[in-house]
Amino acid sequence: MPSEAVPVEERLFSLVLALVATEHGLTKAEILSSVQGYRQRYKPGGDNASLERQFERDKDDIRELGVPLETIELASDAGNNQNLRYRIPKGAYDLPADVTFTPQETTLLNLAAEVWREGSLSSESHRALLKLRSLGVDAIEPTIGYAPRIRVREPAFEPLRAAIDKHVVVRFSYLKPGEDTATERTVEPLALIKHEGRWHLASFDRGRQERRTFLLSRIVGAVTTTRTAFTPPEGDAAAAALADLDRILANGRVRIRVVPGSDAETRLQRRAAETLADDEFVLNYSDSNLMADELASYGPEVVVLEPAHLRDRVVQRLRRVVADHEGTAR
Amino acid sequence: MSARPSSSRPLQAQDKLAFLLSLVPYLIDHEDVGVAEAAQHFGVTEEEMRRHVRLIAVSGLPGDSDSYLHNDLFDINWDEFEDNDRIVLTHSVAIDESPRFSARETAALLAGLQYLSALPENADRQALSTLMNKLARGASAPPSPVVVARARVDSALPVLREALVSRHQVEFDYRDAQGASERRTVDPLRLDSDDENWYLRGWDHARSAVRTFRLDRMSEVVATDRPASRGSDEVALSDTLFETSPEDLSVVVEVSESALPLLGDYLPEGTRTRPGRRPGVVEATLRVGHYHGLKRLAARLSGVVVVREPDQARTAVADWARQGLAAYGEQ
Repeated sequence: MPSEAVPVEERLFSLVLALVATEHGLTKAEILSSVQGYRQRYKPGGDNASLERQFERDKDDIRELGVPLETIELASDAGNNQNLRYRIPKGAYDLPADVTFTPQETTLLNLAAEVWREGSLSSESHRALLKLRSLGVDAIEPTIGYAPRIRVREPAFEPLRAAIDKHVVVRFSYLKPGEDTATERTVEPLALIKHEGRWHLASFDRGRQERRTFLLSRIVGAVTTTRTAFTPPEGDAAAAALADLDRILANGRVRIRVVPGSDAETRLQRRAAETLADDEFVLNYSDSNLMADELASYGPEVVVLEPAHLRDRVVQRLRRVVADHEGTAR
Repeated sequence: MSARPSSSRPLQAQDKLAFLLSLVPYLIDHEDVGVAEAAQHFGVTEEEMRRHVRLIAVSGLPGDSDSYLHNDLFDINWDEFEDNDRIVLTHSVAIDESPRFSARETAALLAGLQYLSALPENADRQALSTLMNKLARGASAPPSPVVVARARVDSALPVLREALVSRHQVEFDYRDAQGASERRTVDPLRLDSDDENWYLRGWDHARSAVRTFRLDRMSEVVATDRPASRGSDEVALSDTLFETSPEDLSVVVEVSESALPLLGDYLPEGTRTRPGRRPGVVEATLRVGHYHGLKRLAARLSGVVVVREPDQARTAVADWARQGLAAYGEQ
């Protein structure tokens, strides 16, 4: 195809320039017949269906970069989508003049981008850094010394994030901590929250008709994205969910005793919400099953004193481990 | 899964577009800049920089006659560019300011900043919230809802950071997974984090080697006034915190397929799994330094992970759990 002569980025760049420069907008026919990368393939009066599909994909890609590509319908043209006009209003495109960053702030933003090393968050934060660099401010020092990282291992993360942005309902099966079988959930996804090292989905559960928070690591198999749109509630869903998680954490209290000089003592003591004796303290927890998992891992180094239900859960786990590992293999 | 991937073609073209849109205002502000300097600023190679400058120089607006006219194109001083490797933009069209951040780009940076807000450098909450507000104002749409709770930071972190920056040795008591405690003398090289866990990588004087230490296993941390013998610029650090060594032990575990992510770093990327004995269950071979870590992992994932081989590993896990039960007066 002769079109390959014009690189994709040149076509996209030319499209942005043309749409920023136009005041009243350009029609699709005007764009396809005149803009670099399209015009070479445009057939006047002919079938341009594949070129039109190309244009639709290009619009999506440009919008994904945060470029405000508008579609306008003139009142006189109502109903005729061949006469839709496209443009990029410069005021909405330009970074506001008072948004500038000091060298210290630039350094911190560089480090914030480094936190993501996998998935879409990594490519997006690096793209944001390109835009930041266009302001010409250098970081004061390379961020020597820190290599912070937030993990995004859960395969459910990307489809959920896309569904949140599009406001569409999702379905997945969920293995609740402490249960053996997964159940099917249909939810309106609202926000993703990393709390206590775990990714959570804040959502409205359509089956149960209430707000529910799910652990991404407990979503089994693929997330199904439906075409059903929903209207997100007013307010900052992410901040509300984070506050909920903090409140739940503060309410969960477990009193434990540790063996002096053990790994458990070194690692758990510094998380103590309250110290009752040298070897006895209180920890906060948000989910009793996950806390029981963690405390069971310390084997004889930790004894749960109360609550009784948490003590029982730990004992039950240890019994299961013994049963699963007794005798020789196979 | 019907979610469309973020782009139907390689992401590269989108990144290049972002680069072109960012480069133009930079070149307008820097009336005369060397290719090398500009390339370094944007973190690209000099050849990439030249290629994109050439592309800008032939781009512009379509004219009325469906062709591109000279005045509607960007232009550069070609002599300066070809002869002296310098970029001088002489004519620009349509754009002159930096583009806004997208909702998702803003969300990524904001969430990163939320996480970093616990670092000792960021004690000034006001400065940080000013920065976050500014970032949000630079977005083309409200940031998408991804948030990260403030990291829990160990009290040792500021001491270690200070010593790292000023290049001094540190000393601390370190209790390993076996429970053995020892005073260590270390040249701090880098502070890594992995979600809520922080690690120090440093040159261990007694062992004459780079070691990784968990901050939550350290106590009595002090910075000495002895200069570090090695700096972070002299020792190559790998991107993985824990490296496997030839002395590692191989262990076969059986795990529910859906629970594989729970194994975390025990299952490095690319580890092959085999079908297990029941549907939904797989077998994997893990490499572990010793059974002390493995028995904790198996007890944490009770009912989810079962160690199959070797027998010594099964015994170590069973004994650990049995001792745990004994602590409750059970058996």
